Amino acid sequence: MNTTVVAQLQRQFQDYIVSLYQQGFLDNQFSELRKLQDEGTPDFVAEVVSLFFDDCSKLINTMSASLERPDNVDFKQVDSGVHQLKGSSSSVGAQRVKNVCISFKECCHVQNREGCLRCLQQVDYEYKMLKTKLQDLFNLEQQILQAGGTIPQVDIN
Amino acid sequence: MNIENIPDSPMVSRKIRKVFDKMTQWVTPWRSNLESPREMMILRGDVEQDEFQYASSHCLSSYYSVFVVRLAIMVMLAILIGLLTVLTWHFTRIYTKQSLKTLAYGLRYELLQRPVLRMWSVLNTTSELTTAQVKLSEYVIKKYDKPTTQEELVEMYQAMKDVTWALFASAKALNAITINYRNGFVQAFHRDPASSSTFYIFSDLKNYSISGIGPEDVSGWNNQSIHGNMTAIWYQQQLDPVTGEKLGKPLKIPPDDLINIAGILQVPDGEASWHVTVSKYMDSPLLSAALPVFDASNKSIVDVVGVTTALYSVGQLMRDLVDVHGGHIYLTSQEGYLLATSTNGPLLKNTTNGPKLMKAIDSEEWVIRAGAQWLEKTYGSKRPQEVHAENVKLGNQRYYIDSFYLNLKRLPIIGVVIIPRKFIMGKVDERAFKTLIILISASVCIFFIGCVCILILTNGVSKEMKLRAELIRQLDARRRAEASSNYKSQFLANMSHELRTPMAAVIGLLDILISDDCLSNEQYATVTQIRKCSTALLRLLNNILDLSKVESGKLVLEEAEFDLGRELEGLVDMFSVQCINHNVETVLDLSDDMPALVRGDSARLVQIFANLISNSIKFTTTGHIILRGWCENINSLHDEMRLTVDRKKPWAPMKTKLVQHRNHLQKSCKNANKMVLWFEVDDTGCGIESSKWDSVFESFEQADPSTTRTHGGTGLGLCIVRNLVNKMGGEIKVVQKNGLGTLMRLYLILSTPETADQNIQPDFSKYGLVVLLSMYGSTARMITSKWLRKHGIATVEASDWNELTQIIRDLLEMGSRDNSFDSQNNIADSLRAELSNIEEIKNPVFVVVVDIGVLDLTTDIWKEQLNYLDRFSNKAKFAWLLKHDTSNIVKTELRRKGHVMMVNKPLYKAKMIQILEAVIKNRKRCNGLRNRGNGSDESHDFLEIDPTQFDTCSSDDSSETSGEKHIDKSVQPSTLHSPVLKNYLIDANNSNDDSTSASTTQKNLEEEDWKDRLYSGIALDGKNQKSLEGIRILLAEDTPVLQRVATIMLEKMGATVTAVWDGQQAVDSLNYRSINVQDPTGEPTSSEEETANNSINPQSSLRNSSPYDLILMDCQMPKMDGYDATKAIRRAEIGTELHIPIVALTAHAMSSDEAKCLEVGMDAYLTKPIDRKLMVSTILSLTKPSIFQTSLSA
Repeated sequence: MNTTVVAQLQRQFQDYIVSLYQQGFLDNQFSELRKLQDEGTPDFVAEVVSLFFDDCSKLINTMSASLERPDNVDFKQVDSGVHQLKGSSSSVGAQRVKNVCISFKECCHVQNREGCLRCLQQVDYEYKMLKTKLQDLFNLEQQILQAGGTIPQVDIN
Repeated sequence: MNIENIPDSPMVSRKIRKVFDKMTQWVTPWRSNLESPREMMILRGDVEQDEFQYASSHCLSSYYSVFVVRLAIMVMLAILIGLLTVLTWHFTRIYTKQSLKTLAYGLRYELLQRPVLRMWSVLNTTSELTTAQVKLSEYVIKKYDKPTTQEELVEMYQAMKDVTWALFASAKALNAITINYRNGFVQAFHRDPASSSTFYIFSDLKNYSISGIGPEDVSGWNNQSIHGNMTAIWYQQQLDPVTGEKLGKPLKIPPDDLINIAGILQVPDGEASWHVTVSKYMDSPLLSAALPVFDASNKSIVDVVGVTTALYSVGQLMRDLVDVHGGHIYLTSQEGYLLATSTNGPLLKNTTNGPKLMKAIDSEEWVIRAGAQWLEKTYGSKRPQEVHAENVKLGNQRYYIDSFYLNLKRLPIIGVVIIPRKFIMGKVDERAFKTLIILISASVCIFFIGCVCILILTNGVSKEMKLRAELIRQLDARRRAEASSNYKSQFLANMSHELRTPMAAVIGLLDILISDDCLSNEQYATVTQIRKCSTALLRLLNNILDLSKVESGKLVLEEAEFDLGRELEGLVDMFSVQCINHNVETVLDLSDDMPALVRGDSARLVQIFANLISNSIKFTTTGHIILRGWCENINSLHDEMRLTVDRKKPWAPMKTKLVQHRNHLQKSCKNANKMVLWFEVDDTGCGIESSKWDSVFESFEQADPSTTRTHGGTGLGLCIVRNLVNKMGGEIKVVQKNGLGTLMRLYLILSTPETADQNIQPDFSKYGLVVLLSMYGSTARMITSKWLRKHGIATVEASDWNELTQIIRDLLEMGSRDNSFDSQNNIADSLRAELSNIEEIKNPVFVVVVDIGVLDLTTDIWKEQLNYLDRFSNKAKFAWLLKHDTSNIVKTELRRKGHVMMVNKPLYKAKMIQILEAVIKNRKRCNGLRNRGNGSDESHDFLEIDPTQFDTCSSDDSSETSGEKHIDKSVQPSTLHSPVLKNYLIDANNSNDDSTSASTTQKNLEEEDWKDRLYSGIALDGKNQKSLEGIRILLAEDTPVLQRVATIMLEKMGATVTAVWDGQQAVDSLNYRSINVQDPTGEPTSSEEETANNSINPQSSLRNSSPYDLILMDCQMPKMDGYDATKAIRRAEIGTELHIPIVALTAHAMSSDEAKCLEVGMDAYLTKPIDRKLMVSTILSLTKPSIFQTSLSA
């Protein structure tokens, strides 16, 4: 019985992660991250991802604070925030966040406050979305582990 | 202005319009120029419009100024010429007039003087005669003093008459002489000019007494008595005018009828008197003078003598004068009575009382009347003595009027001259008018000519103005162009992001596709090819971005290890796809001594050859393109020199130069393991004229300008090649070639890694291999067979199907049918010798390499051909050379028949080695299996796996899946051998192959070892994952995520990582460690040096002194960014001879960022997200010597 549950969970996990890739939430970098995770660092991915989300919320707060002021928006500050966000999102493979960051950056360059605000909302939305998705993924992982199974190596490529 | 609307006269209207345009252009020269900038302005839109308007207004004002200057000069000219004309005219006229006037005055004066003088003389004559008569009368009266008797009285009268006659006769001009005695007796002589007869008139003597009135009684003796005394009888006696004889009888006449008899009334005071009279019989006035005759005692007047002279002689003179000079002259008395005129008009008027003197204003002559009236009107009664008037208008003519006053006693006379102006000034006035017209027309002409001259002269100025305006426009355009150039670089900067992103996506997707298990082998091959092309495209993109850098010399060459052979093979593979379409063979011919690994900029190297080969392909339609390469050790150059000089004479100068260059190099980096790599690109294209061999390497230069039309291209390719080659310390040249085409030869100086002696050549000779090459392309076949023979492999060539079947029959059926060998008459002798040699090989292994093109693919014959070949499949191994477009049917058919060795064309060394090794292994396996009694069909499986492993090694991306996948074998050959393969080989060696000695095994193990070491960065599986073992890395990264990822990544690979959050911390942590550093050893830290001395290890001391082996530095960080941190670190390093490698981490993708990184002192450059392999290879390339050292010391 246990094995069938495990197998089911594993398949579920596989499908889920594949869907994440297909929907563009994640990219290759995430698999790279997963590859880095081994016995020595069992929670590496979760750790990095949580770091990323912390970073995200912090940066988004700063940027929204900067963009709040209708006049004299410090675009340079916003830009550096976006830059950081882009770097970290691309490092964890959060593809959608990264893509939004790219357009965000464009807006920053042309000092388009409206566009920036729009992008900011989008980033906020995307990262929260990703957060829930990944949360689910990790939960699934936990379930598999609890059921005594191993995390299947999902090769997206 | 709607001239052009008139439909029926288009020509005329056009002409008019033209003229009008021209005029407008003349008048407003700036207008035409004004329009074009405005157009441009519209075209260019709103960019920097204000600036432009400034420029255009500037040139507009300059046009205005030209125009104003022109106008001013013209006006000045006009004024000048006008003034000159007026002055000329004025002076000529005035002076002429002045002198003429003077002359005219003299003339007029003279004219008047003459009649006046005549008048004067007439007066004088009259006066003299009168005086003479008086004196004679006195004498006669004295003689007959106091006559008392009648006889005496008569006698006295007779005497008087004679005396008077004498006087009268002598003076012809006299009109009459009268003597009026006191007693009333009258004696008179009279001349009648009309009948030219002379008369003596006397009164009757009987009426007069002798003693009449006494002398005192003068008052009683008056005229009255004479005239009133009508009772007296007068007689007229005609006389002979000459002799005075009486002619006929005296006639009785009424008294005082004929002439005026001067009486006592004319001399009231006893003095002489003058007056003008008229006579009945004469139409001219008469001048009469009267004098009294006193008696002897002078007490009383005895008688009165009167002399009358006619004035008509004066008039005669005047007429004569006027005849000559024209005009009119007249003399009047003070009262205004006419005395004489120059005309024939009457001077007297007839009244009822007889003729009377006429006033000048009443003259019948019109001119005289008008003149007199004018004088009267102008001066009235107070007429001055002299009047000179010019330009008096009388009637419709102009006259000069001059009047002189002649003051004679008792008879003042006024003379007036009237001369028509035109007599004197007529010519002058006429001339003056003509002169004026001529002057005006001349000056107008001069003015127009002057204007034209000014226009011509100022045209130069305006041209200059135009040029200046042009210059301003040009400057503006240049500024604009510069701006647009800036935009262009901006555009490129943006585009690099935009282009790389989709390319990265394409490549990533291809990677996903490649790792998909469901792919068939063909699909896999295609996808791999696509991926390769995409990578090439990406590289091309980068090249385009760097093109300007190459040109400006800012290009920085990378210094990284790469597999030269593999790069070139990839290149040839890529180009062969193009070439096959062209019916051109692409051949890669690298000598065996070429180092597999070199340090340098692989991208640029590939760019060089890509340019050269693509250039060759462009111009080669048939034949072949050969890329040859050989190598020459820098240290053994001098030995080589002799050889090369002998072999390639034309290359000699380059060689010597090379030697110099090399000597220099040797000095600079003493022990550097430099290699001189020679390459040739040889094609059979149209060739280049020898005169253009140098110029083809110039920018935008093509050997034949028409090639742009036929082949396209900018002519930049070879220029970039030369720049790059020079940059790599080499040189490129076109050299003389036998036969058609171009031969480009170049050399590059590249350093090889420390791990020398990489040229491990597999030894195939002992396997008894026999290779049958059946290929279309003769060049590739020849080169391959040459190489095979060199390595002791018997080789037979076949160029087409017939030859192939013949040879294959000979070779493979040899054993069974020895005797049939003789029947092969049509085989060439050399081939036969070869065959006989092969015959001698014991236990030969036949390898048949068949070009798919040898089969007849156009029809279905190829299937039968395959079936035919299939008969030999148990005796020989078939390897197929496929084209990239070989159809799937053929491939599946081949596979069905069990032909698993398939490679894509072109065939080159590495692919050949791959085939041979596969064959050898298969054979060994077979032997092994056979030993165990197994069938041969397993060998196919094995072979299918086999090429996969080659592929694994060459393709970076599939490395982690190596060994597990079954991939097509045709794609990527390599000189490298994956560990799996090696392991297998070793197993085989150990377990099965008796003939292989232990030393071979050992060698293979070593081989494997170095390869592991070298490619640890690429092949990450197994123990190689710890490729960064022992490296201490300082990671400066502010983003927590990135920091964590990078840390784990590096730690996974065995590195020790210290993470800091910003540049400041990085510098601090470095300083903290550096403080503890004792004096740095004087040892130079050049990495190459360390290999030389193994006994003393300078590396250890160095390692002690430097806290980290490497720094990974994010560029954008708070507090202190990567650039500043690097600068600070490099500053701190000055004088310590330390140099910590710093690798930049940046999210920017432009090479300008790379340049910036390198500028501040960083050593390498990685883009985010971090690519693991690239990072490892970069880190290794920077720290490798030390690692190597570490592993040695450990």
